[in-house]
Order: sequence, then C-alpha cells, then structure tokens
Amino acid sequence: MDLGPRGVIGLLGPNGSGKSTLLRILVGLVRPDAGTASVDGTLLEGDGTAIRRRATYAPGELALYKELRADAHLEWFLRGRGRESIARARGIAEQLGLPLKARVRTFSHGMKRQLVFAAALAPDVRVRILDEPTEGLDPSKRGAVLDLLAADARERGTTIVLSSHHLGEVDRACDRLVFLSGGKKIADETPASLSARAGRVLRLDFPGDSDRSRIEAALHKLGGASLARLEVTADGALRASLVLDTDDPRPFTAKALASADLPRPRAFEYGRLSLAEIYRELYGVEGC
Amino acid sequence: MVREYRFQLYGMLAYFVVLEILLAAAILFWPDFEGNLDALRSMAPLEALKGIVDQIGEAGVSAYVNGQHFFKGCNTVGMLAAVIFAMGAVAGEAQRGTLEIWLARPLSRRRILLERFVAGAIAVTLPVFVSSATVPWLLDRVHEEMEFRDLMLGSLHQSIFLIAIYGITFFFSCVSSRPVVIAFVMLMFTIFEFALYMIQDVTHISIFRLADIDVFANIGATHGLDLRIVIPMLAVIAMTLWGSLAAFARRVP
Repeated sequence: MDLGPRGVIGLLGPNGSGKSTLLRILVGLVRPDAGTASVDGTLLEGDGTAIRRRATYAPGELALYKELRADAHLEWFLRGRGRESIARARGIAEQLGLPLKARVRTFSHGMKRQLVFAAALAPDVRVRILDEPTEGLDPSKRGAVLDLLAADARERGTTIVLSSHHLGEVDRACDRLVFLSGGKKIADETPASLSARAGRVLRLDFPGDSDRSRIEAALHKLGGASLARLEVTADGALRASLVLDTDDPRPFTAKALASADLPRPRAFEYGRLSLAEIYRELYGVEGC
Repeated sequence: MVREYRFQLYGMLAYFVVLEILLAAAILFWPDFEGNLDALRSMAPLEALKGIVDQIGEAGVSAYVNGQHFFKGCNTVGMLAAVIFAMGAVAGEAQRGTLEIWLARPLSRRRILLERFVAGAIAVTLPVFVSSATVPWLLDRVHEEMEFRDLMLGSLHQSIFLIAIYGITFFFSCVSSRPVVIAFVMLMFTIFEFALYMIQDVTHISIFRLADIDVFANIGATHGLDLRIVIPMLAVIAMTLWGSLAAFARRVP
C-alpha cells in the first residue's frame, strides 16, 4: 500500500478492519508480524522514533492526563517538537474555541479530541497520521477540523492519513479513499470516482428462488454494467447491485427486461446513493 | 518536564517530611532511650529485638541512629515509597489508558523509560541523603555527634538497597497493567521477608539482613561500603533495569 505523497488520505473501514493497527504500526507503537513500512522515506525500525520525529500521530483512544491544564497538556504532547509547535498548537486550540487554562478533566470528549488534534496539526512535519480525528465531534467542529486538515495539506504540502469508519464524515476533506476490511485493502479510489459510481448504481430485485449463478452469468453476458453484489434482502428478494458504465440506465434496463436468460425482476431502483450507502452497496461492509 | 514528574516531586517531599519527623522524634528521644536500655531490653519480645537493644547499648548513639533512621525509617517508609513510585510507572499508564499518548511522542522508548526510572530512583533516594544530612544538627540538640561521612556512606548503601526494591517493582510495572496487584505482591513479599528477619534460625536469608544495624555498624567501623553486599544489589538493579527496558520495548499500548 502506498499512501501519498501530499493530500488527505482517508483510511476507511468498519470497526476491527485494521485501520488503527495499521496507523499504530506506521508510528512504531505496534510491531508488525511481517512486512515493512516506511514513512516519508524513513524505514520503520526499532521503536519507530525516527518516524515519530518526521510525523505526528493523534491516537484514537482518548485517555489524557486529566489533572493537567489544556495548555500544559499541549506542551506535554509536543515535548521534543520545539517552542514554535507549542505556540502554533495554542493558536489552533484557540481557533477551535478550547479553554486553554481549564483542566482537561473539565473537557468533554469532543474537546479532548480537538486538543489532541491541535497537538497533531501544529508541528512542522511532512506527514500527519490521525486515528479517527473527527470521532465524537459535532458537525460544526467536524467541519472546522476537516477544513484545517485540508488547508494544511494544501498550503503546507503535508501528507495526512486519517482513519474513520464514517465515510460521510470525512469524504469532503479527502483526496483519496482507501477501504479496509478484515485487515485487507478492498478499494482505493478518489472521492470523485466513488461519487461518480454512486450515481450509476442500479438495483434489480429478482424472486428469492432465482438461480444465482444463472443471474450472474446473464448479467455478465448483457454487458454495460459490472455486478458489485448479489445478495438476499431482508424481504427475501435476490438483489443484484450493478454499477452501470454510463449515466443513462435506460439501455441496460431495457436489455435486462428483454433478456430471456434473466427472471423478471420484481423491482428496479436507480439513483444517486450517498457515499456511505455505496460503500455498503459495493463492498458489502457495514459500518461506514 | 517538571509537570510530567509532579507526582514524584510531591511524593518525594511528603516522604522526606515523614522520614525527617521520624528521625527527629527518635533522636530527641535518645537521652530517655539511653537511660532505660535495661528496661527496654527486658521488654523486647523477640531475641532479634533484644540483640538490637544490646547492639545499641554497646555502640551508643551511632547504632541507635542507624537502627532508627536506616533500619526502621528508611527500610519501612523508603520501601513503601519505592513501591509507590515504581508500581504505577508503566502499569499506571496502561491502566489509565495513557500509555498510547505517552509513547506517541517523538521520544524513544528507552529514553522515556530511563527518564521515569531515574526520576523515581531520585525520589526514593534523595530524601534518604537529605534527612541523613540533618542528623549531625539533630544530634547536637542532645549533645551527641556522628561522622558525616559515615552517614553519607550509610545513605548510599541504603539507597542502593531501596533502588533494588524499586527496580524489582519497576520491572513488574513494565510487564503488568495492574499497579494495585503489584503493590499487594510487594507488600506481601516485604511482610514475609520481615517475618524471616525476626526468626533467629532463618534471619540470615531475609533481605533485611542487607540493610540492618550490623551492616551500618560495619560501614561506620570501616568507613567504607561492604562490596560483598553492594555488588549483588547493584547487579539486581542492573538486571531489573535491563529486564524493564526489554519488556517495555515490546509493550503494546
């Protein structure tokens, strides 16, 4: 897997898909069972200190030192990063409306998340690795965080890898989306291409007792579309989800209706899906 | 960095105050103690305690100070401090869930661990030296005196003993996520060892023999450390530190 250089890369997948593990491996917090990794040209060796000097990391788990004040916690996070980073982090935190003189124990979950984010965004590094940076944030704060990330990538030329299990939450900031499931990469594409496909999804519901292999073969024979999934729905229908090659569904639909190899569909459904829906539709993975 | 070690700093101050109060009270009580040695000997319930009273009767105030300050004060309060400072060093972070952010900074694990080990070791040993340094002044209140150099050598020996205990606890902290369990294990171990010390037939196998009145009396007599005791204790410290570094290097947050 090659991520970057530059831009915001969204690492997506349901809980347990391996997003956090991958990010932790990249910064040396978890040792890989096999294989190698490098960040910004630095090979992962030892405990990954060399990589953590070149990249910032914001963990997904939010356990902070509650007895510290927010500004002291920023200093603690940024030990070894220089005074400029601390000043910049304070600026970001203030921009996000965090009370820097308050103790962390008085912070809500979302405020803690923003504090960690401010610390990860401040240092002058080329790579930022952020585990669920928008988790627990309200929509306005989420938007602010994503805008800051996009601006950072655009203006400072950084590579930002962020994870999320909510595609709809982060797609606006991402230049690239990488989907993980069961520890494997199942897709890697741009939001634009995914969005284009989302506008060309056709669902055909066949009777539940239809022959699956016959339907698969017939749809393949028709051409003009690729079969993404074939599954039994809750109401017992055998649903084929197809991504059409063109924006106009009518030619394919007409061919499908005329085909003698296909049973007559019980229902048609065509239209633009949300990114979260297409994720489910195309990859069959819940949680995004 | 001071904020990071606030617990050790405040803990060290509290530990010093307790140690100093015990020391001051003991030294100011010395004239009464000296005048009632025979009665105290007859009241001692165990042979081991009678032996200690005899030693004080023969050697005078230096044995009394060694017994009260090093054997009683430092061995009890110091061991408690050693366990408290070490038990949460890594296990506490794991239990609180802060291990990940602790390790996420651009600092090597070796450095992070050594910093914490040294901070705790200083917190365990500095009060021993500082309180020992006040002994001449306190003894002056009761018109007695003791060699400052012997007190510092005694403090050094005591500190090595306490760091060995600290190192063992620290190692447990590196491999565990439950500081309370570590504290309980160390408490049971200490009670067991002290019980051994009090039984004449097996007293020689107790770890408290490594830091009892005999040892400090020997330091006073030779004006030097007993390397037969110090070197094995240093070896224990080195092994526990090495073990801690190895365990911490593999630790997953």
